[in-house]
Amino acid sequence: MALLSAIIGGILFGGSLALLAYGLNLAFGVLNIIHFFYGQGIMLGLYLIFTLTVWFDVPLIVSCLVAVAVIVALHVVVHLGVIQPLLKAPLINQFLALASIIIILENSAMGVWGATYRGVPITLPVLNIYELYIRTSNLIAFIGSLIVIGLLYLFLNKTYTGLAIRATAQDREMASIMGIKPRRIYLITLALVGVLAGIAAAFYALVYAVHPHWGGTFTLMAFVTVVLGGLGNLSGGFLAALIIGVVMMVASFLTIPEGGPIAVYLIFLIVILLRPEGLLGVRARA
Amino acid sequence: MLKVEGIGADYGAFKVLHDISLGVADGETVVTVGPNGAGKTTLLRVISGVLKPTSGAIYFDGQRVDGKEPYEIVDIGISVVPEGGRLFPRLTVYDNLKAGSYTKRSRREFKQSLDEIFSSFPILKERQSQIAGSLSGGERQMLAIARTLMSRPKLVMFDEVSSGLAPKVVTNLFELVKRIKSQGYSILMIEQNVRKAIELADYAYLMESGRLQFHGNKEDFIQSPRIKKAYLGI
Repeated sequence: MALLSAIIGGILFGGSLALLAYGLNLAFGVLNIIHFFYGQGIMLGLYLIFTLTVWFDVPLIVSCLVAVAVIVALHVVVHLGVIQPLLKAPLINQFLALASIIIILENSAMGVWGATYRGVPITLPVLNIYELYIRTSNLIAFIGSLIVIGLLYLFLNKTYTGLAIRATAQDREMASIMGIKPRRIYLITLALVGVLAGIAAAFYALVYAVHPHWGGTFTLMAFVTVVLGGLGNLSGGFLAALIIGVVMMVASFLTIPEGGPIAVYLIFLIVILLRPEGLLGVRARA
Repeated sequence: MLKVEGIGADYGAFKVLHDISLGVADGETVVTVGPNGAGKTTLLRVISGVLKPTSGAIYFDGQRVDGKEPYEIVDIGISVVPEGGRLFPRLTVYDNLKAGSYTKRSRREFKQSLDEIFSSFPILKERQSQIAGSLSGGERQMLAIARTLMSRPKLVMFDEVSSGLAPKVVTNLFELVKRIKSQGYSILMIEQNVRKAIELADYAYLMESGRLQFHGNKEDFIQSPRIKKAYLGI
């Protein structure tokens, strides 16, 4: 029963990881950038939710909405100020510019909130269903992530803007010949990635306490998910997120807590050595 | 309708087009033939706004259009069927067609355009939920043409519509171009298959090494010793 609890916990964790992976896949697929400060964006969101809720007594739901708006604004500002001007720059410049954002955000957080863990002191009950223990906060994050992924799917597949995003990801020049404005699509995509990061922060507010270096681990894990699933492949990312979630929780349960990440990254190394394109990736992008 | 005046273009330090002037009148089919590497595709890239010309001017319906962005050119009514089709391979047939009607102007008429396309290309209706990359070579080219028509163009440019396809498929595609011509579209066609292309042409140009070397109406063009010898093998 405890093993089953770990598996369920892994699936729940995988759901929100899938949400994170979608954001990175979009940024990479459309703009061809490595979105480094993703986790730091979420970190900032968690601090905002904490500050508004705990220091200023703002209702949680309002704090979450403000956090989403601020993270979207952060993405738009960084896109217009840094990413757009550097799209044709050498890879190393892009890489370092986006990495600089990490340092700026982490040190700002350290300056404002210090190094201590900060969290919203609301504890939701743990459900006990026939000896299966499920944390309500994880369940909310999971169901919420699935709903957001579903909405994202509808947006990408049913609207002209979604079509433009997918077309731009496949062939930018042809997309522009169809009448699509690539720069506009880039901005919309980055804003959308910001929405996903903001929503992730809202779901995580009840799960995690945050500290200034919280983001890095999550960015790395989300990248591993994306590459494991096959870069640019949205369904692959989803599958990989569930696998990583389950491996993480089960390995921690069977060994020591640190065993989870070790197992995940070992499996990741083995997969990319044997199948560099990832689980559902295509060998050559058409 | 289309007037190209003294266009020059480079790729970096490499000059590809020199002083190109040509025109397409309303409802006319103009064919530009020439060997590989003559700059024919580059000319279409310049007209569709992907590559900026270094000199000269382009007018469409009296309006100056050189220097405009690709998304403005398609909105004005110039649309290109690129070499090899350049479909969005991981989008469905339906989504490729929908992408073709992306501009505000053509979006309003999406349903009507789609009905027209599906009645002229029943195979595309049948395969509408299939991924474009899974179509055969001929079907892909057909979809590329249909996608272009979805933008409701006045001028359709074909870039080597026959390239890399089996002779029977090529014959069908030229039949299709003929049908499009008969519907009143103006056409600018770039071809290596001189014999087949000339049949459709009202007026033809020969391009070699980035320059227009010779031009004339269909009869003069076919009768010219130069064309006969080098391109028709007579």
